[in-house]
Amino acid sequence: MNATAAESVPAELLHDAIRELGVTHVVTVPDTHQRTLLDRLYADADIRVVTVTTEDDAIGVNAGLHMGGAVPMLVIQQLGLFASMNALRGIALDMNVPTFILAGLFGRDVNKSTAENRSRSVRLVEPLLDSMEIPHYAIDGPDDAGCIRTAFDQSRVVNGPVVVFVGAPTS
Amino acid sequence: MKRAEVLELLAEQKASALSVATMRAVAPWHAAGGGASHHIDCMGCMGGAASLGLGLALAKPERKVIVLDGDGSLLMQLGILTSVAGTGAENYYHVVLANRVYETSGHQPIPASDKVDFAALARAAGYAHAESFDDIGVLRERLAGVLERRGPVMLALEIDPEFEREQMPRLQPDKQISVMRSQLTG
Repeated sequence: MNATAAESVPAELLHDAIRELGVTHVVTVPDTHQRTLLDRLYADADIRVVTVTTEDDAIGVNAGLHMGGAVPMLVIQQLGLFASMNALRGIALDMNVPTFILAGLFGRDVNKSTAENRSRSVRLVEPLLDSMEIPHYAIDGPDDAGCIRTAFDQSRVVNGPVVVFVGAPTS
Repeated sequence: MKRAEVLELLAEQKASALSVATMRAVAPWHAAGGGASHHIDCMGCMGGAASLGLGLALAKPERKVIVLDGDGSLLMQLGILTSVAGTGAENYYHVVLANRVYETSGHQPIPASDKVDFAALARAAGYAHAESFDDIGVLRERLAGVLERRGPVMLALEIDPEFEREQMPRLQPDKQISVMRSQLTG
């Protein structure tokens, strides 16, 4: 976390990691940062991508899918975390729902750490999650992709939300 | 129509369907027996019932899913209508209990309370079928048939605002999630 810079990660790397998790459904409000990953997910015959209009609804759909025995996750933009705080609290946290989230850090100056970014949408999102007691990780380069498995498993252990930030646009 | 009487009719039709209830529908749904099994209550996140139900419907396409939504709740997350329609979930039955007020906070009218047509909104969003009911006799006669239609279906039920608070059942929404999952995954 808080690496001084972020480099682009191939979408294939993230896609492979998601497939290894056994994910059945990806719930998304499409994220600019992860556009190439989304292209691969939409084309993946083994994963159903569910497009919704708000991140609040993504959290609710994730919960319903989980109840029904599916293996869902979210691919959203970090701005959607700000937007969906009440659903994160009321559904993911209070109802104890495993909620694994890949969130692109839209607007990040990739030559700076997140803490050094002037934009509040980048600088404040990690402290926001800290205040909500929501664990989070960062993929700031290809070597960080392993945290996808770590974060996913953690979401199932804590029965709650865990976020992995994608620091630079996927290639 | 009265909230309790429409929910009694719906509970009679539930059979093996899964159900999600929110806000003022929760207590009478449980009283009518609809919450006894394969059911979840959405109380901590107003507006969340429809999306919870959509996830269930997608995970279990062989089961009907009945969502008991409020008009104020739905208006908070109106985009869910296109999300539902976009998935084409044929097993999704979206009941909107329209009393046209925010009952819990003091009966303030919902925006455009005298104009908004929920069935029309659903139709325009792409639901396979949407219908409004304001007569209990007509609803009693037609409900079974509507619930056999291919979804997603909306039933917009015009109900009277109420002033008495029902006795809430003891709820444990955090446990309901795991119970429902156990019931559905064996």
